[in-house]
Amino acid sequence: MLLKQIAIAALAAALSLFLSGSVTAAAEEHYDVYHYDCWSEPVPSQAGYTAERAVSGNDLGVGNFSEPADIFRDSHDRIYIVDAGNDRIVVTDAKLETVEKVFDTFTMPDGSETTLNSPQGVYVAPETELLYIADYDNSRVLISDYEGSVQREITKPDPGLFSQDLTFLPQKVIADKAGNVYVVLGNITTGAAIFSSDGAFQGYYGANTVQTTPEVIVDHFWKMFSTDEMRSRQARTVPSGITNFDLDDEGFIYTCSQSTSQTKDTVKKLNAAGVDLFSPLGITWGDIRSYYDTNTNTNYQPRICDIEISDDKSINCLDMTTGRVFQYDKEGSLLFIFGSKSDQLGGFTEVTALESCGESIYVLDKQKNTVTVFTETAFGSLVHEATELYNAGYYEEALTPWYQVLQYDGNYVRAYEGIAAGLLVKGDQEGSMRYAKLADLNSRYNKAFEGYRQEWLSEHFTLAAAVVVLIAVTLTGLHFYRKKHRRHITKADTAERSEQP
Amino acid sequence: MMDLTDRQWVSYAVTHPFAGFEDMRWKKAGSVKIATAVVCLWFVVAILYDRLYGFQFYSVPDKIFNVIPYFVQTIVIFLTWTVGNWSVCTLLDGEGTMRNIYIYSAYALIPYVASLYLETFLSHFLIRDEYIFLQVIAYLGQGWTLLLLFSAIRSVHQYCFLKTIAAICLTVTAMAVMLFLLVMLLLLFEQVYVFAYSIYTEIAYRLKV
Repeated sequence: MLLKQIAIAALAAALSLFLSGSVTAAAEEHYDVYHYDCWSEPVPSQAGYTAERAVSGNDLGVGNFSEPADIFRDSHDRIYIVDAGNDRIVVTDAKLETVEKVFDTFTMPDGSETTLNSPQGVYVAPETELLYIADYDNSRVLISDYEGSVQREITKPDPGLFSQDLTFLPQKVIADKAGNVYVVLGNITTGAAIFSSDGAFQGYYGANTVQTTPEVIVDHFWKMFSTDEMRSRQARTVPSGITNFDLDDEGFIYTCSQSTSQTKDTVKKLNAAGVDLFSPLGITWGDIRSYYDTNTNTNYQPRICDIEISDDKSINCLDMTTGRVFQYDKEGSLLFIFGSKSDQLGGFTEVTALESCGESIYVLDKQKNTVTVFTETAFGSLVHEATELYNAGYYEEALTPWYQVLQYDGNYVRAYEGIAAGLLVKGDQEGSMRYAKLADLNSRYNKAFEGYRQEWLSEHFTLAAAVVVLIAVTLTGLHFYRKKHRRHITKADTAERSEQP
Repeated sequence: MMDLTDRQWVSYAVTHPFAGFEDMRWKKAGSVKIATAVVCLWFVVAILYDRLYGFQFYSVPDKIFNVIPYFVQTIVIFLTWTVGNWSVCTLLDGEGTMRNIYIYSAYALIPYVASLYLETFLSHFLIRDEYIFLQVIAYLGQGWTLLLLFSAIRSVHQYCFLKTIAAICLTVTAMAVMLFLLVMLLLLFEQVYVFAYSIYTEIAYRLKV
């Protein structure tokens, strides 16, 4: 009997341990995990991603990296790490476990050998499987196949089209489906240079605009009175140049710009005409409030140094200032913030690039010379599931995951929004109103309230009509009563008046 | 003729924008109590309008609430208007007393205050597509109050049209000056307080040592 009781107790304990273990699946991070609430205030949150391991060049058996500049995943899930300091490109498998190839020498079309010199970016076109390498110090873009034989080389364009005073320093490169090559050039603020598939310079694409800060306005004011000679000596107002970009599978180009003086145009989604589709949404990318450091007495603005669109169309932005990754869904709503500046795993010294691969996100650190692997937590996968259903329009199906998200984190404001939408589709207007209020969303509340009012009216029409009629009758009655009363007074008045003269 | 009670005078003045205040002046009617009640109701509705408006139109930042701005925006503004107008118009041969300016101006506010109450109430039953109704109510209330206010100042001082406009402009200037002086006074008094307090601490230390 006693044995049986002990056995049951032990079983219960084990079961409860198991259950509690499955609920608190999110790992403890060494930095503060936070999210923004509906008033744009940072609040503690659950981690969507957790740092699993850091991979160095030594771990891969190719010798340590030196100032790695870029990381890229191709359509076969091979990872390309641009090892700028060692003038090579290391290709590994998707898990970052074994090295598949190391590119250090290439064969030119005429048969001669060529090496890279501080390459900064790599891109592999999914259609042609060609590698596009931004060979920074050699001032060229190499287009090569996977065997290392160069197909074409893009160098500084002809004097007629491209001012020879300008340097030609390719930093990042992508190629669209038509084979046009887009190159981010150092020291160029007029956008990314476009080259057609045969290598001819076409012009620039996606330039940023100057933000009208008070300083710019004052400058402009003084320039109205100054002579041309004075003007030539003054500093020119130029927009910040593009830092990095990425291409999604629909052909939109996402650019990011890191600037210390400009908060505009930090992240853009450009269509073929170069129009920013994000600008009407008014999204603040990165940290909403700038971070104030008491030691140096400076405000640190977020500086988005890399942008990457993952397979589920999430937008991952890497902030160089704080070493944080900001993940947004395709509509630009913030999903997660993770990473930090520190020495532990999951912390960085100077981040340069990031890339996603399935449920993992790889972040490259230029000074630690490692790739840190972040993997999705249970909470993260739940939010992704719900977001994907929600963005696809399956509001009702997204209800269950959203409710689960709220069990993990009651501050997660997107969940309230999702539940409000789901309940409205389900026909529960009152619930939808309640959740819209919790999410602080007036427009959604408006929609739910419209339905609620209509339903209420159709249910209680007789009552409403009766009340309206009753009020109307009382008012008219009162009016007539008063009129009679007043006439009585005025009659007395006139009588009095006629007596006076 | 025109033997109306205080309450009847209110509705008479509000519904007769051109002759109402003239008749009130002729009959020496108007009650300070009702005028004060109107201003207080304005103060209340200023808070209600900001806090309890229908959620489908605006959301309220619930984290912060401070009653002082509402107090300044209604009661303080109204009192400065009264005092400013009185001080300007006694110099411009106005016939109004401070009491009358206070009463007539408060009566003139009634349509505006009523429109705020009505708007706040209706905002809980309307949706965004019907916002035009609320806007019409707001414009009516504001326009009517402006008309009444003009008529009130004209009647209380027995001015002509142009002189009334000039008086109103000067009153607004006087209000700005008064508010500036008020802020200055507050700041100076704070400095005096700090000065007195530092003397007190100094003496207290000396006594201890």
